[in-house]
Order: sequence, then C-alpha cells, then structure tokens
Amino acid sequence: MRTTPTSELEPLLPPGVTDDSISERISGIVVKRKMGLGWIGGFAIAFSLLMMFNYAIAVLFAYGVGIWGIQIPVAWGFAIVNFVWWVGIGHAGTFISAVLYLCHQEWRTSINRFTESMTLFAVACAGIFPLIHLGRPWLFYYLFPYPNTMGLWPQFRSPLIWDMFAVTTYAIVSVVFYFVGLLPDLATLRDRSPHRWQRVIYGLLALGWRGAGRQWSRYKMAYLIMAGLATPLVVSVHSIVSLDFAVGIVPGWHTTIMPFYFVAAALQSGFAMGLILIIPVRHFYHLKDIITGRHLANMAKLLLATSLIVGHGYFTDTFMSWYSADPYDKFIVADKFSGAYAIGGWMLMILDVGVPQLIWIRAVRQSPVALFVIAILANVGLWLDHFILVVQSLHSDYLPSEWRMFYGTKWDWMTLFGSFGLFLTLFFVFIRIFPMVAMSEMRGLVHKKPGETKEQGA
Amino acid sequence: MLRLSPLTSMKALSLPPQVQADGGGPRFWKSLEEWSHSPDFLPYLHQEFPEFVSEWDNGMSRRRFLKLMAASLALAGLTGCSRQPQEKIVPYVRRPEEIIPGKPLYYATSFSHRGYGKGVLVRTEMGRPIKIEGNPDHPASLGATDIFMQASILGLYDPDRSQTIRQGKDISTWNALTQFVGSRIEAHEQDQGAGLFLLMGQTTSPTLVDQFQRLRERLPKSRWCFYEPAAPVRAQSISGNDVEPSYDLSKADIIVSLDADFLFDGPGNLILTKAFAKKRRDPAADFNRLYVIESAPSITGAKADVRWQHKPSEVIAFTQQLAAELLQGVPAASPALGKLADDLRQHRGKSVIIAGDYQPEIVHNLAFQLNQALGNVGATVTYREAPRHPVPTIQLPDFVAELKAGAASTLLIAGVNPIYDLPAALGFPEALAHVANSMHLGLYDDETGSRCQWHVPEAHYLETWGDIIAIDGTPSVIQPVIEPLYPDVASLMEVISLFVDLPPKKGYDLVHDYWLRNLAADSPVAWDQSLNKGVVVEFSSPALPPAPVVGVRDAPSPDPLKASDLEILIRPDSAVDDGRFANNAWLQELPRPLTKLTWDNVAMLSLNTAKSMGVTTGDVIRLEAAGQSVEAPVWVQPGHADGCVSVTLGYGRSQVGEVANGVGFNAALLRSSVGEWSRMLDGAQATGARRELASTQHHFSMEGRDLIQIETLAAYKIDPNKAQEVKPNPEPRENLYPPFEYKNYAWAMSIDLNTCVGCNACVVACQSENNIPVVGKDQVIKGREMHWIRIDRYFEGEPEDPAMHFQPVACMQCEDAPCEVVCPVGATVHTSEGLNDMVYNRCVGTRYCSNNCPYKVRRFNFLEYSDVKHPTLALQKNPDVTVRSRGVMEKCTYCVQRIESARIDAQKEMRPIRDGEIVTACQAACPAEAIVFGNINDPTSRVSRLKALPRNYGLLADLNTHPRTTYLAKITNPPSAA
Amino acid sequence: MAQLFPPSVDLYAKIVILGVGVLLLAGTCSFYLLNRSPYWTNVGVTLDQPVPFSHQHHAGELGIDCRFCHTSVATSSYAGMPDTQTCMTCHSQIWKDAPMLAPVRQSYAENKPIRWNTVNEMPGYVYFNHSIHINKGVGCSSCHGRVDKMPITWKATDMTMGWCLSCHRHPENQLRPLSEVYQMDWTAPTDPHTGQDWVVQRNVQKDHLTDCSACHR
Repeated sequence: MRTTPTSELEPLLPPGVTDDSISERISGIVVKRKMGLGWIGGFAIAFSLLMMFNYAIAVLFAYGVGIWGIQIPVAWGFAIVNFVWWVGIGHAGTFISAVLYLCHQEWRTSINRFTESMTLFAVACAGIFPLIHLGRPWLFYYLFPYPNTMGLWPQFRSPLIWDMFAVTTYAIVSVVFYFVGLLPDLATLRDRSPHRWQRVIYGLLALGWRGAGRQWSRYKMAYLIMAGLATPLVVSVHSIVSLDFAVGIVPGWHTTIMPFYFVAAALQSGFAMGLILIIPVRHFYHLKDIITGRHLANMAKLLLATSLIVGHGYFTDTFMSWYSADPYDKFIVADKFSGAYAIGGWMLMILDVGVPQLIWIRAVRQSPVALFVIAILANVGLWLDHFILVVQSLHSDYLPSEWRMFYGTKWDWMTLFGSFGLFLTLFFVFIRIFPMVAMSEMRGLVHKKPGETKEQGA
Repeated sequence: MLRLSPLTSMKALSLPPQVQADGGGPRFWKSLEEWSHSPDFLPYLHQEFPEFVSEWDNGMSRRRFLKLMAASLALAGLTGCSRQPQEKIVPYVRRPEEIIPGKPLYYATSFSHRGYGKGVLVRTEMGRPIKIEGNPDHPASLGATDIFMQASILGLYDPDRSQTIRQGKDISTWNALTQFVGSRIEAHEQDQGAGLFLLMGQTTSPTLVDQFQRLRERLPKSRWCFYEPAAPVRAQSISGNDVEPSYDLSKADIIVSLDADFLFDGPGNLILTKAFAKKRRDPAADFNRLYVIESAPSITGAKADVRWQHKPSEVIAFTQQLAAELLQGVPAASPALGKLADDLRQHRGKSVIIAGDYQPEIVHNLAFQLNQALGNVGATVTYREAPRHPVPTIQLPDFVAELKAGAASTLLIAGVNPIYDLPAALGFPEALAHVANSMHLGLYDDETGSRCQWHVPEAHYLETWGDIIAIDGTPSVIQPVIEPLYPDVASLMEVISLFVDLPPKKGYDLVHDYWLRNLAADSPVAWDQSLNKGVVVEFSSPALPPAPVVGVRDAPSPDPLKASDLEILIRPDSAVDDGRFANNAWLQELPRPLTKLTWDNVAMLSLNTAKSMGVTTGDVIRLEAAGQSVEAPVWVQPGHADGCVSVTLGYGRSQVGEVANGVGFNAALLRSSVGEWSRMLDGAQATGARRELASTQHHFSMEGRDLIQIETLAAYKIDPNKAQEVKPNPEPRENLYPPFEYKNYAWAMSIDLNTCVGCNACVVACQSENNIPVVGKDQVIKGREMHWIRIDRYFEGEPEDPAMHFQPVACMQCEDAPCEVVCPVGATVHTSEGLNDMVYNRCVGTRYCSNNCPYKVRRFNFLEYSDVKHPTLALQKNPDVTVRSRGVMEKCTYCVQRIESARIDAQKEMRPIRDGEIVTACQAACPAEAIVFGNINDPTSRVSRLKALPRNYGLLADLNTHPRTTYLAKITNPPSAA
Repeated sequence: MAQLFPPSVDLYAKIVILGVGVLLLAGTCSFYLLNRSPYWTNVGVTLDQPVPFSHQHHAGELGIDCRFCHTSVATSSYAGMPDTQTCMTCHSQIWKDAPMLAPVRQSYAENKPIRWNTVNEMPGYVYFNHSIHINKGVGCSSCHGRVDKMPITWKATDMTMGWCLSCHRHPENQLRPLSEVYQMDWTAPTDPHTGQDWVVQRNVQKDHLTDCSACHR
C-alpha cells in the first residue's frame, strides 16, 4: 500500500461532506460495490483456514485432547493461551465504542463499527476454546447451574465457573450493543439497496426504523445505557479471566497484579488488532479521508499507553517475586529469563513493550505501514506473553521430579491458525454486508460546527 | 450409546453363564473356562467393547475416521439423550457354594522365579484372579511381594500367550502330541533314551525331581540339562557339597555388600529387605550400617551409608585387599578400606559380608573366609545345603555339542529360550537344526518355539498344579486359581509325564500323589492344610541342615585387566529380568528405580566415561564383545563407576508379542558363556545415531528445596527434636474457607523414607489394584504415564558420586486441597473423613485440578488408554474400581474401595473399623513396611504414633495444604569421622 | 419510496420475537420433564422375560421370603439372582410340565443359563451394596416397591442420583425395625423421632452417606 505520511491533525471529516455523500459512500461499499478479486482472494484464504480449524477439531473430538502437546505437569496449553488472547482482543472494541463514547471522543465514530465487529468475532473465536479444551466436551453443560436429576450444582468456588459467566455475559452484551448501534444504518442500507431482496432483508433487520424523532431520542438513550452497561465489562471480563490463574497456587500465576495487568494486556492486543484490520481496509476501500491518520495516531497512542502499563506489570511482577522471597516464585521468574523458555521470555518483552515505544516518534506514528508492523509484532508478543504465563509457569513448579518441557504438536498449531481463519472469514463477510463505518454517527458529526468538534486526541 | 461404564459389563462378565459341577478340584475353577468357550462369550465382549471406542493406535483410515467422527459428534450431541442399553442378568445354572457374587475369594499358591518359590495369596472375583498379595505364612514372602509377583497376574491374561498346540505350521491337538511322544518313546526304548535330550530352566519342584528319577529308570541314557540366563554364581568351591549362604540381617549391625543387590534381586529379596528395614526403622534402637561396593548403582547402593563405586575388576581387587587386611593383617591399601576393616573388627559376629550373586567365585570364597574370620558364620550367616533339584546329567556346553554332533533324535525345550538368550558362541541355532524331532513348551511361541517342530503352550502358574521350594527349603504346593484360559495348555510336569507315565497323568494327580506319598500320617488332612496355608505343613523352615564346610578350595583368580580397559557389566533387567517378563506391559512401563527409564534397556555409563567417549544420553553406541556387537543407546548415570559400561538382559526380543517385539537390544549376545556377568569390552564406538528414551523423571536435583529431609544418626541422637535438618510442620494458617470437621475417621498415611528401598513393588501393586492403564513409550515420552504412586528419585552431592534418595509420592489427600476449590463441576471433593474423592463420572476434564496440585500426582486420560482391544485383559480388572474412560482425571484414592468394604463389614457388625483392618495396596506389597495407613482420629493407631515421631514432616507443608500423607525423615548412619 | 412491508408485518414481527422465547422455554421444560418420565427412567415399564416370573404369585400369594431366591442380599453387594437349580427345587415337583417353565427345564437340562432382562440397572460407576442397606434397616420395598403385587416385575422408583440422595441426606425417613426389612406392607411410623433414634442406635454415619466415594469409586 502507499506509504504517504499522514498528519495527526487532519480534520475528522473530509471537507464538503454532506449527510448524503457520507451515507452514499459507505453504504455504497455494501450494496453497490462488486465483489473485488481482492475480497474473493482474501476470503478464500480465510475460509480454507477455517476448514483446517474444523478438521483439527473433528480429529480432536475423535481422539481426545491427547493429540495436543499437553501433559502432566503442563495440563493447559495452546487452547487456554488462545482463549485468553482472543478474549483480550475483544476488549479494545468495547473500550472504543463504549468508554470513548461516554467520554465524547468524536474521533471514535469512524472506527467504532470496525472495532465492535472485531470484538464480536474475537469473542466468537475465544468462546470455542474453553469448550474444546475439555477432556469430555460433550459434558460441557455440567458447568451450567441447571436443575438436574443428580441433585448437583456446579462448584461456584471455581474461577472457571466465574469465567464461564463472565464470557457469556460479555458475548451477549456485545451482540446486543452491536445490533442496537447498527439499527439506523440498517435502515439506511434498506433505503439505498438497489434490489428488492436486499431491501427486504435489511428491512427486517432494521426492525421498522424510520428515523422519526421519537425513535432517535429513544435510540440515543438506549445506546447510552448500553454503553454504560458495556463499560464495566471492559474491566470485569479479563479481570475474571485472570483469576483462572491468580487463584491457582502455581508459582507465576498466584499474584495479585494479574487482573490489572490482564486488562491492560487485553486492551493493548485489541488496539493492535484494530490497527491491523483498519490500515489495510482504509487503503483498499479508499476511506483515508474518513478514517484519517489522526485516527491511526490516536489508536497508536492508546497502544503505546497500554504497552507501558503492561511493561509496568512485568516490572512489578518481577520485583514482587524477589521481594516476596518465595523460593518457588523467585525460581520461576528467574527461569522465565534464563531457563528453557528464556527466548520466549525476552521476545515477549521486546515485542509487546519494547517495539511499541517507537510510537513516541512522530514519523512512525504517521506511517501506516510502520504502525501495521508494530501492531502485528505487539500481538505476537502478547500471545507469547500468555504462552509463557501458562506453560512456563507450569513446566517447573514445586517438585523438581515432575518438571517437564512442553512442545506443541501440529494439531496445536492448526487450531491456533485455524482460529484466525474463523476470525477473518467473519470479518470478510462483515465488510460485505454491514457498513464499515457508523453512518448515522458520522452524519451526527457533519452537523457539528467545526468549533464543537474537540481537537484533542485520545 | 455412550458407555462410560465398562464396569457395568465388568459385573456382567463376572457372572459366568455356566458352571459345571464335576470332580477334579474345586468346581469354580470351571466357571471361566466353560464360559470363555460358551457361545455367550463373544456377544458379551461386543456389548462390552463398543466398536467405536477411539484408541490412539497406528494411523487412521478414512472410513475409521468418519466412524470416529460420527461417534464423537454423537457423543458431543447426544449423550444427554442417550438411554442405557438393556442389559442381561445371567445367573448360574447351579451356583457353586464357595461363590457369593460380589465377595472375593483368596487362594494360597506359590510364584516361582529362577527355580525358587515365593508364596502368594491370589484374590479371585467370580473365578477371575485379579490381584496378587503376599502370603504371610510363607517364609519367602512374609506377606510382602515384589514387582515380578505383582505383575505375574498380567502375564496370565497376556493376549500374546500362545494358545494352541502347533506341529510344523499347523494347529494340532493334545492327542496328536500324545501319540507323537508315544512313538518317540518306542523309538527310545531301543536306545534306552540315548537320543532323548531335555533342556529346561532351573527348578526345585520335588515332584519334578521325582519325575526325573523315574525318567532315569525308564530311559537311563536320556540326558537333560538345566540353565538360567540369570542364574546366580554358586560358590561351588566353598565345600564339597552344593552349599548356599543364608543371611540373618536382623542380627547384623554392619552389612558389607560386595556388589550384592540383595534388596531387589534373588529368591530371598523380600525377607532380606524385611530384616534390613527392621534395623533401620527406629533410630533410638540399634541401627545397622550398610557399606556397598558396586559398579552400577542399585537400590541397595542407594540405601548405603557408605558407597564405593568400582568397575568389576576393581571390585575383586577391593575384596582381595579387604581380605588381605583382615586375614593376613596387611595394612589397609586406603584409609577408606582401613575404616571399613576397623568397623568390621569392632563388630565381630555382628557383621555380615554379602558377595553379589553375579560376582565371580573368588569373591564368594573371600566373603566366606572373611565371614568365618569375623565369627559371623553361624551368627549372621549360615551355609546350608541348597534345596534338592534335579541334577543335570550333562553341562550346557557339552549338551549343545552333543546336539551339534547329531546325538539327539528327540529334544524337549521347556520354559527356556536358548535361541534368544544363549551366547552366540555356543551356536545353539545350528545345534537345533541337527535335531530330528524337537518340541518346545513355553508361555509364548517364541524365538525358540518357532524353530521347533512341536510347540506346546505352557500353563501359567495360576492355572496349573505344581510345587516349588522356597529359598529356606520350605516346600509349597502350587494350586491353580482358574481353569486354563486355553484348553491345550500343559505344565512341564504334565509334559514330562508323557515320557514317564503310562497313561500320562494330569498335574493334579502328579502333585497330589507325590505329596500323599511323602506326607506323614493323615495325609489328606495335611494336604488340605498345605493348600490352605500355602506351605507344606510338615516341613517347617529351615528345612535344610547347616552344611559341614570342609574348607575352601582356591578359586581361579581372574586374569588381571589393565586400568585402561573398558569393561562391560551384564545384569538382569530391573523390570523385565532375563526377558521372561518382556511382554508384561506393567513391567515395561515401570520406571527403573535409578534411571526412571521405561520401555528400553540402555548402555549405562558414568559421566566421565561418557565424556571421554564423547557421547551423551540418547546417542547410540556399538558395543563389541564375544565376537558379537549390539547397538545400544547411551544412558549417562550419576553414581556409575568409571571405565565400565553396564547393560541389562531381557530386551531385543523378536518373537514374543505386541509389547516387547523389537524393544531394546539383546545384551545376552555380549556374553561368551552363560553366567559371564562381566568381561572386557572389545570395542565401543558412537554410531552417530540417536534414540529417544522414555524416562519419567528428567530433573535429578532437589533445587535446595527440603523435599526429602535427611539427618545423620549421630546428629539425630543428640536431640531428635532439635535436629537441624528435620523441620517440623508449620502451624495451620488462616484459611478463607471454614475448616472441615472429621467426626468418625480421619484417614492418613505415613511413609518412612528410612526403610523405603525404592523397589517399585508398591507401584505395580497399585497398578494391579486400581485398573491403571499402560500408555506406551510415546505417551511416556510426552509425559503422560498413569501411575498413581510414583517413586521420586533425587541425587545429592557430586554428580560423579552422589547420594541417592527415594521418595514415594501419591496423592497427599490434603486437608486444604488446592485441587478441590478449582474444579468447576465438583468432580474432586472433600469427604467427611478427609479423603479427596475423585468422581470420574462427574469429571469433564478441565485439568485445572492437576495444574493446581503442587505434588503433581494427578493423572489424566489424554486419550483412550484403558485397553479395550483385548478381551482377556478385561478379565484382570478389579470390579470394585471404575475403569476410567478418555478425558477423565484420576489419582490415588487411598484405595477407597478397600476402605468402603472394610467399613461395610464393620458397620454390619455395628463396630468401629479396627486399626490395621484397612491395608492399602501399596502398603500390602511393601516388603520394608515403610507405608502405614490408618485413622489419625484414634491417637493409639499405628499411623498416629508414627506421626507423633519427631522425624515426621509433610511434603511442601509450607503451602498450608495439610497433607494427610506425611513422611518420616531419612536417617543415615555413616561411620563417625573420628 | 413505496413501503416494503404492510403494517401487519409489525404483528408478525412481534409474534416471531415472542415465539422464539416461548419455544426456548417450552423446549427446556419438556426436556426437564422427559428426563423424569418413564420413557427415560423405565419406572413402571415391564420387560419381556424368558420366563414370565410373577413375584405377585411367589412373594405375595405363596409368601416365599425374598432371601429364598435372593440369597446373598444380606451378606453381599449383589442381592443374588437365583440359579436354575433354585427354581427346580420346587418345579421338579410342582408344575413340572408347565409349558411356561420350559425354558427353566431346558436351562437345567442343557446347563445353559437363563438370560433375564435387567429391571433395576445401575451404571457401572455406581457401587450399590445391598447388604449394608438391609443390615441398617432399609426395607426391600423402599426401593423395589410392592413386588408382591407385581405379576411381571417392573422398576418401582426412578433410581436417579437425586433419588438416592433424598434418602442418603435423610436416612431417618427410610429406616424400619430390622425385623420389618423384608415386609412388603410396612408403613413408616408417624413419629419422626423413631427414625432419628434408629439412625443413632444403628450408628449410621450420616455425614459419610453424602461423600461421593460412598457410591462412586
């Protein structure tokens, strides 16, 4: 893609836009634009990855989790790592659409649809792993508190139960929030679709939205409330996920910083993923004037901020393990940087804390390509971070007699990359059927006088 | 459609459809056999083992994959909506009165190994033997068992056992065999048996001895020879007659082992361990001191207070120096030696010097002289005549030579596998080719069997009659506990009977008649008592008189080796012995005591030797000796003597079965004669190849964590409570959750690290009792072995010459168990008695509990490990323990099934459970009585009293888990520095 | 532009939205009920047996004691199914030619067992022990119902884990005088204390009854 440096102070809207031009352009992408070869190619790749995912899971069900590299002591492997990673990615979406909305950050309007979609798809990917990592997945419903003939309840002291509730809640709220936000745009699509069948489908989805004043006022209120509901989830979900580890007595897991640091890491991976998706899309669909360099820069700044928090997390973690004088914890932290997994230990530091520091440099902030690369590296780093947390902590805990190395099998990797397939497939479908940018909100921006639009960044 | 409950049909299985009442032994033996041939049998198995069960074996066809997919998706979807299939109840036609369905029966019999007997009690459920226990009334067992006794139950059900008589390539019948032998006899009556040759393993069976006499009478010229690939060296030269030393360690304060692994190996291992442990149990009372001189580390060496490692030739030199000092008063060659000599002088009559079974004759001689000089003979060691055994008419080399010369027209090979384990130098294959009529009797149609015209499946000792003599001379009758699984099997004496009796007799008649003739008055009663007790009542031990020792003939001193020479040391394997147990999966997967290695034999080297050869663990080297060469993976072993390689027998089998074929290399090839236990190596080079080895423990150091607490006797005696090393358990700390209260019982275990010798008996016993699956080499490499109790082995000090420690670790049954709080479905929960229950049928397999277990004692069925392919293996399963399916966590339960049955018995009698009434499988097996189980709510119980000792400590107790299993610190007794 | 949908669509939309909810609810409820229905639990379902044995006749009318056939019920985990010999003890004398009993005679003659269909079936991971229940005073009819009124034997209780627990949590409700264990027509005393006294007298470990390992091993 072209690498013209972008300014961070561009206006949020191109000059001379009108309600109509905005709607026309954005809805046009969905209802008028032909399927480009680029899209088809991308979709083909994504879809074949998805098929690989299905195959890996089929074999998994046929033979059992033994096809993975997990063993005793490392009884959790890729599945849990992927789960934590994907759930994390979701967070940024909710953060942008809910938290920034409540903070009146207008710049979010042109990217929140992206990031919200990203949230949904990420949660979809994440949701699969806790299920398939079970030894007997067909009995997953034992985790739900349903009235049964056994006279048994799940064990509510277990973080996995909290986890189950947290993630389910998150999924539901995200979906509803997404759909509510989508309503006016669905109506727009309905009105602008050339074919009747399109109009009917969008019409049904639009639930009879006609843009009446009453609808608008109710809608605004509903959206505000939803945002209010979603906001705490940004913090709560990953905190609870982190308890899966913090509650355990495994050295390296059993630390109070976990929730705080998990949320930061989650947001970071989310912002990174946001950039990874937006930069190519704005290029291929010529949305540079709507998703401007300023948006990218703001995202980048958020990425930088969170990476600093994560860095702080690492520091505290290391310091505390020394300060605690707990021999097992001290050992595991030392092992992280000097043991068999040292490469991972250092790589993750460099990738998700070191590399983002480049964003301090204006030139980097203004180069989409640079940001794209940084974002990818940061996400790799964060995956590594979870991997080290799960695997390295387990592989040498209390009794040296049971220390063992963990090696992922081909099935582990197929499931990891397969999940990318699921994510991307969903995303490719999304850009074909829903407007990538929240048109209604953009129109809202149009009517603000220049003075009203805040000029500060994130 | 989903059968999570193999045991449902286990129960069905244990209801044999028909039972015939006819004469010839207790009728219930009939049950299984009748049933296994009945038409009902197969339908059972199909109903028992649904086809779709997914196991992880070689590859998968597309069809199979789809099948599995269908199955697994169905599992995923439909289990909620699956009703149990209709099952059948199949009662007896005539119920034998002995059998009450659901009640086990115990029978006494004897396990024989290398010609000696060890008494066992066999637990049978509905006619299925399922578990071996020691026989307290038997002098060679005293209630304890070793790994071979424990694992022998699996041998009975081994699907690879040969099942039919074979002539040439065709299946034949018993009648055909009888006619064949008949015709041979006729032929031999002309030449008085000159052409009749018999080759078989050592035995002390009185009935057989008798049979051979009859054979001599009938065919005087017939020749027979006995050999054991792992026969101990007998000190023939000590006296004119055949003499064996017997040691009384309970009287010995100083024990010197000249490369003798007496705690593990040999017919007396159990009694020796018991006596050894007795003088190690109580630091306050007298406490023995063990000196060990050995080349390759053994469990005896690991228990040593002072251990020297020397290569084989130096062991001899060492002994000679010791003798020189103590006998001729030559000043000590080294201070260490001097210290040992002084120690021995100070303990005249209270010390014992034990020469290793595999040491050359000269060492045995010197040991005898030393014992005599130290006044130990008669006190701690007595020399007795060896038990009576059939005397060979010809020695092995001559025997083979005769065969080669074509002297044999009929050859019977019974219970031995000469093609596999005889030195190549003897050229047995060629010899065998010269024999016109060859017959083979064996459990497997093995390397030798397949080269003989006739093969007869040998009866497993649990399904046949026989008799055997224990190390101390006590005879006992071997009685079958199940009708033969396969109708054609025969015991050795039944085959011999074909040659000596007309008409041939069955085992029962042979043994019964012999003893009725040899028992005193009122024989029938004595016979019944003997069966019941497991030892022939009238012969109370010691049955053998002390032999008059007529002085020592000089034994040939081995030609001296240069210090530079690389020597090789050959020993029976510490799991599969000389190969007779090679196809026993429990033993193959049993971590060897010091290497923790499974599924392989290796060329063991010291760190220095390995460095000088430029090889490391896993490198394959070619070893050359006796004109043969083998390729063996290197294992670098701390505590191994420099300048020698040690290898073990029993591997490199090619024709025995699924389990052992192609595993490891055949070390027997490196011998020039049977009974050559060490020699010079002609060559050893790295081949550049590597082999992956499956060890269950990769980290050897304790990382400075006080997991095993050790204290010297001296320091401990000063003030046990102030002993520096032994840390008391910390006080219980605050807990988020309310404490449990234990109203009735509080089960707990105490393990004495002082007496535990790391012999592995508990591991196999547990596997046998709790239906623990075998996972195979690949899975062990991945780290998925399933043993509920493992024996951690740690090295301390210099890697070249470390101290070695054992620590049995099973579920600690923590009072504040980390696993319990994290299970989302409550599949592992606390009981009112402090057990940490594992509920398989509730487990969904999140494996969180295992992550959160600091002891890592939980085991997970990553795949379908329980063997559902082989119907016979199902017969061994303990019906009181669920067979776990794939995706389920499991762990030690303190043998809860035994607790519950004891409770039910007690409850029926409205009384509390007595102390010692519940014995866990590991505890029952332990020859050192290191494991004690009981109720700590009762302060007078044995376990409570042990836990009150100052040596008591909990593993990782600082984690506030309050483990119910605690350890007694290890006390070592090195000689004082002064 | 023209309206896409007629006004009636509003109604349909509402119905659909409501309908989905109702369906979900109904589905859950029916599954809940199905699990407790005879279809699932086999309660009251009679099975074809090789011999149409009538407990009503033997236990009820003839008043033969349970233990005559189920010999090990008080001593072993299995109640014990009568062997063919037991049947023949009587039926070699009476009804010795009854066609109905042909399978029994055949079994005895050919030494082939009779294969009954299991009425009360426990999953393999459940370790139920008859003897301890009998010895602590839980009557046969408490679980097996009035077999003396069953012409063909059927399952009297659903025998779900919840059902087991109902008694394991409150054993006092199911205990009887030890003399009454084999009585079919026994009715519980009105006074709740008698049960509680028995629990104490017979030293029933109430807290252990709800331990998982009491039944699952």
